[in-house]
Amino acid sequence: MIVVTGLGLVTALGKSVAETWERVVRGDRAFSELSLFSADDYRVRLVAEVPGMRADDKEGDVSRTSELAVHAAREALTSAGLAFPRSFGPPQASGDGGPARIGLVVGGTTAGMLETELLLGCGFRPSGEVDLAVGDVEWRRMLSHPLSAPTTRLARELGPFSRVRSLSSACSSGANAILVGATWLELGVVDAVLCGAADALCRITLSGFNALGALDPTGAKPFDRGRRGLTLGEGAGFVVLERASGARARGKSAICTLLGWSTAAEAHHITNPEPSGRAPARAMHAALVRAGVMPASVDYVNAHGTGTPLNDLMEARALAHVFGASVAHIPVSSQKGQFGHTLAASGAIEAAITAMAVANGIVPPTGGLEDPDTECPLRHVREAEARVVNVAVSSSFGFGGMDAVLVFGRASVTGGAMQVRPWRPRGRPVVITGAAAITPAGTFSGAAIAELSTHACQAESIALDVDASLDARRARRLDRVSRLAALVCSHALGSGASDAGVVFGNAYGAVDATAAYMRRLREKGARFVSPSDFPNLVPSSPAGHVSIYLGLTGPTLVVADLAVSGECAFTQAWEMIATGVCDRVASVAVEEKSILVDHVLGVIFGSARADSEAGKRPTRREGAGAVALAAEDVALQRKLPILARVEQVIAWWNDDAPPSEIAPPSSTEGTRAAVILASGNPELEAILERGGWASCRRIPCAESVGSHEAAGGLAIAMAVGTLAADASLNSVLCLGSSRGSGYAITIGRYRPTAASRVGVARQP
Amino acid sequence: MSADDLKYEIKVLLVAELNLSGRDPAAIADDAHLFGETQTGGLGLDSLDALQIAMVVEEAFGVRVPEGDDARPIFLSVSSLAAFIVQERKANAVGSRTE
Repeated sequence: MIVVTGLGLVTALGKSVAETWERVVRGDRAFSELSLFSADDYRVRLVAEVPGMRADDKEGDVSRTSELAVHAAREALTSAGLAFPRSFGPPQASGDGGPARIGLVVGGTTAGMLETELLLGCGFRPSGEVDLAVGDVEWRRMLSHPLSAPTTRLARELGPFSRVRSLSSACSSGANAILVGATWLELGVVDAVLCGAADALCRITLSGFNALGALDPTGAKPFDRGRRGLTLGEGAGFVVLERASGARARGKSAICTLLGWSTAAEAHHITNPEPSGRAPARAMHAALVRAGVMPASVDYVNAHGTGTPLNDLMEARALAHVFGASVAHIPVSSQKGQFGHTLAASGAIEAAITAMAVANGIVPPTGGLEDPDTECPLRHVREAEARVVNVAVSSSFGFGGMDAVLVFGRASVTGGAMQVRPWRPRGRPVVITGAAAITPAGTFSGAAIAELSTHACQAESIALDVDASLDARRARRLDRVSRLAALVCSHALGSGASDAGVVFGNAYGAVDATAAYMRRLREKGARFVSPSDFPNLVPSSPAGHVSIYLGLTGPTLVVADLAVSGECAFTQAWEMIATGVCDRVASVAVEEKSILVDHVLGVIFGSARADSEAGKRPTRREGAGAVALAAEDVALQRKLPILARVEQVIAWWNDDAPPSEIAPPSSTEGTRAAVILASGNPELEAILERGGWASCRRIPCAESVGSHEAAGGLAIAMAVGTLAADASLNSVLCLGSSRGSGYAITIGRYRPTAASRVGVARQP
Repeated sequence: MSADDLKYEIKVLLVAELNLSGRDPAAIADDAHLFGETQTGGLGLDSLDALQIAMVVEEAFGVRVPEGDDARPIFLSVSSLAAFIVQERKANAVGSRTE
């Protein structure tokens, strides 16, 4: 059983859980005229700003988003009794008496956008050149730009953390961060996990939603007959999760329990929700099944309730699908009419509000709702109600149809279950059913990917006519990265994969397109920014596009981890299958030609440093790699081709704590095992030495696919291809690390007779 | 500009702005339903396209397309869009002369 032992909040209503909760219950609204930046030509300037929040801009990666995150995360850790120095007993799972392993999962969409968007708009010429005259000092502000920047800042400020993840699924990011935290506890890779999300207001999001006509000039009124849209807010929400046994052992009482979780995609449209509500209903149902709760037992639903005409109507239908006739009796509310739509943060902020509702026996109201829409026939909460909440549901739906649902329970009700049963790591065997790579040398899938290591192609761009390989009409909204991703995923997954999810590893997002958008905003004004370009600037959009284009309805999200984003995507995909969140996922990483990555981001983040110091141009070859993962039982049942099995997946954080538990090659004969390194850090050699892999043969990677942020995705595809092509090989270790974050992924030959307990079961 | 030239210009704009790659602007019928199904000769556009069209029409032709239900009859087809642009330009011209 997983319990919530800490909460932290920053919203426009207040800079703590207590302050926000008190005002939420009172029905206060925190909407005001924008003061953060000038927005004279925006149609709507009403926002929910966090007052008195200043980001110290002296350090490169500090942003308003990261400061909101630090504030809320510190409150959550403190309330859990885990602020540094940690007071945490010996881990219950490993029993080795070592220090507690605390994980960190952070969701977001904006990261340092507020601090970097003007720079992007000025420093990028229409001809596609970077204006280096802007100066290195200013370009160094781009340190705050990547999706992973607030995570790095949090880890530096509040660490140490043993495992770290940055993710985006647009407006469901916060809920998915909590879901990922729960899977880590299930896998036994952490003893406690701080998870949540943060987003600060910025010009991109305000002008983008403005262009979409999605902002209500009079303030969001969820489920109201007169609702006209959302009000943008900002903030951060964090929760601390741990196993009930761990909390109990250190004498920490639970705020509530996390009973269930689910995430799925609508595969419908990049901005509009699927109108019938069937897809979100499927996610809610799956979360309730996971929680072991009948729909009729739900006492409160914290709705996504954005206040847009389409979302609220769809959500009312979804709730009717899930709860049937009892929907008329289940209290439903949304706080987006009070602290606004905080985008990525909303899922985490509202999870914390839901946890408070459960813990306090108070159902908060829908602020701003005056005249309920009869098309949304729900049991709306108009004023806070005192009532016992044994089970509560919190739903979040993101751009691109990324739905995530969490189910919370009252701690005292489930207290009985907390007392017994020692916790055991869970994990089901995962296999690889397909792999594909697209590079300047061509398109390769399955065993043919092995040829990549011998190809002497020096071209930097993919020559393949990507557009001709896709349905032009359905692919018209996809940018080049999304097109390459859709193509390589379709090769890896094959047909009949509609229940699969997609995890896209992407270090920097659509940074060139963001610069072009900002330039247009600066030169032409808010009236003339492109409504259809805006969704493609959201970091989660490539995953959303792949899901929509290929009709994939499984978990859909983007993860970011600088030069090891490909390895991170594979790890994220594996975690979700191993813990039963879904049965099939494609993990994908794509590198496209990007001027800003070539000249700015790649340089300041060091992925190209080695080459540029030697006076050479960095070898940033375009490339896309994808691997299809599936639960072994599902692959066997559906007779999917099994190319390999996943033997071990290890992720770590902090240079000073490299992994000691990498399993040695299964064969003592060095020739039967191979190693592939996507990034050539010297520290990796020491890890190989310690793990018994140093003398194994090397599969050349950088020479064939280049050095870039997506290289790990290609390396894993090459590992699978090499294993499929070379019958003498038993296992391949894919090792990568960058800036303190590392991954060791061991892929082995699949034998149907293999013991069914692999993966996590091999860990002590 | 003749009415046909205006319609052609609108078609070129639609193909470019909505990424209707592979579509020949000249092959779009004047009265094809912009939001109708492609199987029945429509362009298969949606509400996000409508917002994009409203933005580019204002940028290219200097006329502001109304929002919400008032925009429906205007967005019916290339013909209705052209008629609206002509009518608005006339109204603007008259307006500026009387100022």
